[in-house]
Amino acid sequence: MNQRQSATLAAGAVLAVLPLLVGSSYYQHILVLWGIYAVLALSLNIIIGYLGELSFGHAAFFGIGAYASAILTMRYGVPVLLGPLCAALVAGLIGAAVGYLSLRSTGPQFAILTLSFGSILYTIVNYWIDFTRGPMGIVNIPAFSLPFVKLDFAKAVNMYYVVLALMAIAAFGCYALMRSHSGRAFIAVRENPALAASLGINIFLTKLAGFSAAAALAGAAGSVYAHYLTVITPDMMGLQSMAAVIIMVIIGGKGTLVGPLIGALVYVCLLEVLRATGPLRLVSFAALMTICVIFLPGGLVSLWRKLKQNNATTTTVQGQA
Amino acid sequence: MSTPLLTARGLTRSFGGLVAVSNVDLDVSAGEILGLIGSNGAGKTTLFNLLCGSMAPSSGKVTLQGQDCTGWPAHRMAQAGALRTFQITSVFPEESIANNIRIASFRTRQSGWLDSLLCSSRFKRDEQDLSCRVDTILDFVGLGTRRDQLAKTLPYGEQRKLEVAIAMAGQPKLLLLDEPAAGMNPDEGAKLVEMIRRIRDSGVTVLLVEHHMRVVASVCDRIVVLDHGVKIAQGTPAEVLNDPEVVRIYLGREKVHA
Repeated sequence: MNQRQSATLAAGAVLAVLPLLVGSSYYQHILVLWGIYAVLALSLNIIIGYLGELSFGHAAFFGIGAYASAILTMRYGVPVLLGPLCAALVAGLIGAAVGYLSLRSTGPQFAILTLSFGSILYTIVNYWIDFTRGPMGIVNIPAFSLPFVKLDFAKAVNMYYVVLALMAIAAFGCYALMRSHSGRAFIAVRENPALAASLGINIFLTKLAGFSAAAALAGAAGSVYAHYLTVITPDMMGLQSMAAVIIMVIIGGKGTLVGPLIGALVYVCLLEVLRATGPLRLVSFAALMTICVIFLPGGLVSLWRKLKQNNATTTTVQGQA
Repeated sequence: MSTPLLTARGLTRSFGGLVAVSNVDLDVSAGEILGLIGSNGAGKTTLFNLLCGSMAPSSGKVTLQGQDCTGWPAHRMAQAGALRTFQITSVFPEESIANNIRIASFRTRQSGWLDSLLCSSRFKRDEQDLSCRVDTILDFVGLGTRRDQLAKTLPYGEQRKLEVAIAMAGQPKLLLLDEPAAGMNPDEGAKLVEMIRRIRDSGVTVLLVEHHMRVVASVCDRIVVLDHGVKIAQGTPAEVLNDPEVVRIYLGREKVHA
């Protein structure tokens, strides 16, 4: 077993016992939120980190997943356990449509287009009152339940393991992607599109696949969010949420696997710590983001890399001395 | 001569009133090294772009292995086996040399994301083949010792080698080289000539757009000369270099000793 595998195993073990260690249901609740946001951040990371395009509208797919899951299970009798899957499908399809229309642009144009599509989807959810109940939101969304096994998934500690499983699947999915030819095509498109095309990579299709997959994953996260909190409102796809997801990915470290997980943790913790400061909370996030972009463009994970590099150089210097 | 791998018939491209390439016929035979020369503004680069799919012709037809590929986008041409390099050095700068080759092997892939997710035997075989290929190709161009270095840290001449390695990683049938000797000193140029020969000997057909007469004359089997978008001569290096028209237009009035 190499160093990386043992580190992953150790991290997994810690995550598995974490809710039992913290004890209080308040902290367990925060851990669940972290897990959901971590999956959301991982999904946006596919677009920002791997494909190298900035998408502002990503929270819209989180919201669509939540609404799709709530409406399908409550009105159309879909089993709650299938909620995340259906949500991923719906969000993925809408993501594919949005991607098809916007991915021919790149850079700032693409970012603005995603912002527009995100706002349109938010507006639809907010004003289509007959279908989504608009700003009143949807309440009493059923929690997950298992056949035969009696586990109360309204409780944070049980829900934590559902979320942890989703996070593990998402993280392994990203890992598998980046070690495959498909993931290398993403890197090629990000680093040098002209060369990528000349090597036989269809840039548009590659981006469309990545964008749709990211939307689907965000949808699954949204579904889990809806069935956990049992209440959803259009706010979860608003401007503030859009910014929040980007903040998580950038602060944690884009283009890495651990970065989005750390970014989500920092975001969720700060959200609670700064709760007392009211509106200043948003200002703090903006400030943090700015500082991060200027002084730590690689995000928090790059600190670790720097540390390792420094150690390596000191060792070689000592070795030579 | 054997069957043509790539053919162009009546290929024309105009930009507004300017006709950059006019009614050019061209055959690239399998297994040869064909040089495309001309003075600045003769339409070499435009013709090159038309052939490799970076630009659609105004009229005319291009075929690859008998298949009509006129106006195909670059990625489709590459999928069909015609890979190009770029005049301005084009690599994946933030990736290691070995990763550059891994990325560039996209065309030969057998496995995708799902195989990787399920750790299928197809995925393992593909990755094993890939690591062998990385070694072979890097040794072929002489970058074997620098595999873990980031591409952007390579000196210029080595980056050009990496570029050829990237194109070779896609296992092309036809390799289109866009001024590979640009910015090289005579020594590097000689090594390049030797490398192009080895590429051809490995079974790849080469089309070479080049400025350096020395390089073209020493490596090419046949040469096509363009002037003002029109093909004015073609033949073996000796024939072309002694063509009075070529001597007058392209090389000035001096006699060439190549």
